Amino acid sequence: MKNILIIEDEILIQQSLMKLFERRGFTVDVSASGKLAIDYILNKNYDRIICDLMLQDISGFDVIEESKKKFSAAEISSKFVIMTAYNSPQVLSRANAYQCKLLNKPFDNLEEALRIMTE
Amino acid sequence: MENQFYTSHKENSEQLVIYLDPEVKADFSQSLPKNVTYTDNEKAKIAIHKKANRLWTVFPDGSHCDFPYYQKNLLSIIQGLSAQSEKSDLSHSFDNFIKTAELTEKKLFSGASLSPEDNVKDLWDEIIKKVNFISSQSQSLRSLMEKLLEVPFLQNFQSSIVLIHLKGTTRAELLGTVWRSEKIQGLIEVKEFNSFFNSIKKSKIKSFSSDSFPSLELPFNGSFLAKEVISRKYSLIALVSRHDFLSYSKDEIDLFETCISLLQPHFERLIDQEYSDKRVSELRVCLKDFPLPLRITDNSTGTYFLNDLFQSDLQEKDIFFNKKVNKSFTIDLYDSDELRHYAFDLFHFQRISLLGELLNTLRHELSNPLFGLKLGSQLFSLMETSKDNKDLMSEIEKNITRCQAIIENFSNLYQVETETKPVTIKKVIDESITLSKSESREVRKSIHFLSGCDDIKVELPMIFMVQILFNLIVNASQSLKGISTQKIITINIDSSDKFVCIDVLDNGPGIPLERQSELFKPFFTTKSQGTGLGLVLSRNLALKMGGNLEYLPSDQKGAHFRLTLPRP
Repeated sequence: MKNILIIEDEILIQQSLMKLFERRGFTVDVSASGKLAIDYILNKNYDRIICDLMLQDISGFDVIEESKKKFSAAEISSKFVIMTAYNSPQVLSRANAYQCKLLNKPFDNLEEALRIMTE
Repeated sequence: MENQFYTSHKENSEQLVIYLDPEVKADFSQSLPKNVTYTDNEKAKIAIHKKANRLWTVFPDGSHCDFPYYQKNLLSIIQGLSAQSEKSDLSHSFDNFIKTAELTEKKLFSGASLSPEDNVKDLWDEIIKKVNFISSQSQSLRSLMEKLLEVPFLQNFQSSIVLIHLKGTTRAELLGTVWRSEKIQGLIEVKEFNSFFNSIKKSKIKSFSSDSFPSLELPFNGSFLAKEVISRKYSLIALVSRHDFLSYSKDEIDLFETCISLLQPHFERLIDQEYSDKRVSELRVCLKDFPLPLRITDNSTGTYFLNDLFQSDLQEKDIFFNKKVNKSFTIDLYDSDELRHYAFDLFHFQRISLLGELLNTLRHELSNPLFGLKLGSQLFSLMETSKDNKDLMSEIEKNITRCQAIIENFSNLYQVETETKPVTIKKVIDESITLSKSESREVRKSIHFLSGCDDIKVELPMIFMVQILFNLIVNASQSLKGISTQKIITINIDSSDKFVCIDVLDNGPGIPLERQSELFKPFFTTKSQGTGLGLVLSRNLALKMGGNLEYLPSDQKGAHFRLTLPRP
């Protein structure tokens, strides 16, 4: 577990998370755009992809759908961590369908959140 | 045919013989001209039948004319024929007659003016006269539609109906008469009305069948004539039907259209009158039921209108709202203890739901940036080695957490649905104190559960309780502003099986005796920026929950309010 991609359009969140991960020894790429993130995912290799749902161009779910070109369902469920501020029943049921981890923004506990994202 | 014609001519050069079918004869026997012979022999040279409610006039050469079925027309035809026959030049005269008749008909129905010699002018005059008569006699749209059936050419019609849509309203109204006597009234969706209106407007023939508009559920079956009228304030469709399936003649269609056009100004007048009557009566009901005693005085005559709540013992001093309307009227609102709270409910709930929406937007817009700020400050506090900077970062983080909590609390508080989950009084009080922090920063809060148990639960809308306590705490804090000693708000909670009492006390100046009776009156305030509604609304909310809010006068310094809430 070494390479992480952070997809988040709120630059303050994106940069802070990047620095927090880098301090822990991870190699981190970031993207504020969903489409750019898809390029990264298809062309590079990440152990973990942390993905916000509400992006400016496309939704986080669209990113996951596009990633199916490269990853199996099992890989998607283990690689992706979804971050969201709006955990409506629809969002929850869709996230469950991918069987990936879901983190609520804001984090109640930073250490706990970082652990979930990197384990 | 031609031979027959000449034969007849020779035999009957002196007097005209006309066959009238029995129905026509029965209908008009009283007024038939005497200089003509009427026969029962259907083979007569000239025959007049009743066919599809028209006067079918068949001439010796087999050609025919037809006219709307009424007396004036029959007489015109017979007189015309007899005049022609006297000239003994029937060979040309019938052709001429037909031409003349067609021309006359054309003139009649196109509305062109006719010379006084034209017999048919009487009919047209009669229609105009009748239309003017009925419209002057009608005081309502309904009676106008009823009387419309008295117009000569409409006398064998069964229904007259009008559909009106006032612009800006959500329903169209249907009213009129079926079977010449049965009154009908109904409402129609605007969508239906509009599609009906457009079909009629686009149609060139203006003659329709009820089958074509099944969704309208017209109160009759069969064909009907319809004409649309559009004005600045309303759209209207007038329709008449004989309740049969025969189609209408061109003349009937033209006459009907003309009739409705003639009636248009009267429609306008009656609709205006009816709907302004309606508005006045609605206004009267509103004023009558206005939830505060109300008096409207006509300043020129001194007469006044009193609503249902006005009681004779009300005096000048009870007036809390007074407004002159355009010099001639004065409106006075009186304060009334029992009913006061109704007046502000609507206002209050509108405000709450608007606030709810605003807070939701704020929450969505602020939560992400706040989260970013928090992550950033956490990051810096991890990277920072100097203790001073670490403390500063942690202070920033704390403040961000507070912002997040406030947004969270407010948006939970202002959810429009007033769910009633079991909640502890402690949580209600904590929440109220958090929300009122900006006002009560320097005030020490001392909370005592007198029964020793801080787990007292109620099942009431959180939002109501918090709003009341928030109000009391803010009021108390504001009254403490000028105090130089330690400012204290004491909250005592006591409970019985049925009720929870929350007493809010402060060590401020208290409320002077003479002001205490006015505390819960709307617009009573001692603050320069106050609305004077806080305590009124709070008491109303308490009453709504089955509790109460009161002021307890005491010998001790400071104000003492008691909120009583029912226990589940």
